Amino acid sequence: MIRALKLEWLKIKNYRIFWILTGMYLLALLVITSGGTFFLRWLKSEGADFRGIDPTIIPINDFPDIWQNTTYLASYVIFLLAFIVIISVNNDLTYHTLRQNIIDGISKKEYLMSKMLMIITMAIVSTLLIFFAGLVNGAIYSHVWGAEYIFDEMEFLAAFFYQIVIYCSLAFLLALVIKKAGFVIVALFLYTTMFEPIVTAIMVNAPVFRDGLAPDIAQFFPVKAINNLITVPFGRYIFMEIQDYVSLKALVIATGWLAIYLWLIYYILKKRDLN
Amino acid sequence: MESILKINKLSKRFGRIQAVDKLELKVSTGQVYGILGPNGSGKTTTLGMILDVVAPDEGDYEWFDNEPHVEARKKIGAILETPSFFPYLTAVQNLRITAHIKQCGKENIEPVLKQAGLYDRRNDKFKTYSLGMKQRLSIAAALLSDPPVLILDEPTNGLDPEGIAEVRALIRNVAQQGKTILMASHLLDEVQKVCTHFCILRKGKKLHEGSVSETLGEINKVEIAADDIKTLEKVIGEFPGKTDYTVDGAALLVTMKDDVTATELNDFCFAQGITLKKLFTHRNSLEQEFLKILREND
Repeated sequence: MIRALKLEWLKIKNYRIFWILTGMYLLALLVITSGGTFFLRWLKSEGADFRGIDPTIIPINDFPDIWQNTTYLASYVIFLLAFIVIISVNNDLTYHTLRQNIIDGISKKEYLMSKMLMIITMAIVSTLLIFFAGLVNGAIYSHVWGAEYIFDEMEFLAAFFYQIVIYCSLAFLLALVIKKAGFVIVALFLYTTMFEPIVTAIMVNAPVFRDGLAPDIAQFFPVKAINNLITVPFGRYIFMEIQDYVSLKALVIATGWLAIYLWLIYYILKKRDLN
Repeated sequence: MESILKINKLSKRFGRIQAVDKLELKVSTGQVYGILGPNGSGKTTTLGMILDVVAPDEGDYEWFDNEPHVEARKKIGAILETPSFFPYLTAVQNLRITAHIKQCGKENIEPVLKQAGLYDRRNDKFKTYSLGMKQRLSIAAALLSDPPVLILDEPTNGLDPEGIAEVRALIRNVAQQGKTILMASHLLDEVQKVCTHFCILRKGKKLHEGSVSETLGEINKVEIAADDIKTLEKVIGEFPGKTDYTVDGAALLVTMKDDVTATELNDFCFAQGITLKKLFTHRNSLEQEFLKILREND
């Protein structure tokens, strides 16, 4: 395990693009986890109010709500991690280093492991960052304090970790299938942020579809399956009912996709001739 | 002799082309085994299959004493076609990856870089290297773990004459250490110069297999002449190292026993009081044999 992870580390530790993307990602996480308060202050200075309520008193940093709030927002920047995965897999294909690694003495399974361990490591680091940032922000701003609040709804951190693993596995698979990194990045980004959300939104909301099976089918779409792990939390601040837990159904569907991705990656690695 | 590699009915088809067709091979310790064949005869595909980067349609292969393939590959230094390294890493950083995979120490990195003549450029990025340097880095990587087996695919391809001579010297040097080398080449001359055994591949089929010296030694003839041709003929008649001789105008064509050299013949004549004014070895070139084998199989 450590050996496979170290292989990946040797490949990326002196790779500038990796550090640039990592820096961008960490910066984005910092802004997301700590920027909320500043954003609300800015809203106030612009004269915004919510039905007469001062925006700065909206308790976005209260335990345990802070976990769902930050993980939901942070899930928007996971694509930066996916770019790292795509570039690293693509490098191994274009520089023939995957082939050379196999020749030198790793199995295809070990290669799969090395990439997955890199993904898992990135997911662990991200989750820990969100956790500590949440603790700090909560300590400063939360109106409630105590283990029963702080450690409530921790499942959202686990869900965030899982989102990264699944989304990056999808990126890994696409990078293997489509050998052009730039194309994969654009395609994945557009699909994730535009194509699928639009299609599923139509399936769920369009009057012709919404009474049939379409809304149920939409839950099975790959990106929707990942997004459903952490649902939009902000409705609670305008007194709407929200889902403040990770649903079992979403978990099962997402796990199904992860299994499919991993199986396909392994199958392709095993069957493909590396030239 | 210990078996290094056994290939058993290995086959691979790419679309309509049968790249390798039920190939059987056996390589033993200490051999420098050349796979000879024109371009597209299945050499690289064969090497790809035994290194697990090309999936065979049929057949199998066995490394060493039926060792698991992944473990066996760690004991093999291999160069397949183009040098494959990360362009954004230096030679040292690239070789650290190789050392990590091969589970050999990093202390070999500097010696192999010196051996490959890249020591001064060791901290430069791979992308700044010339083709020859890239090729030499491949060789350095292949030698890194001091492997008992080397696999070389067209090792002198793209090198200048000096580089070709260097690589050939390196191969002979490695072979003298008792290592086994399996190389693919379309250059007959190369196989003749460095290999002990060879096989000829065409359209994925093995046409011929044998030892280089046996194949070439079949016709080991020396053409000699002296001022007094009659005496020479008499002396040669008594030479124990010959199997036959014929008079060819003003010269004699002596067919020698396999292990007898022209030097011995010269010494013998000199001892009998005859100074040769001409001595010319007719060593059959592999090229003639190769063409003959191809003709026989047409």
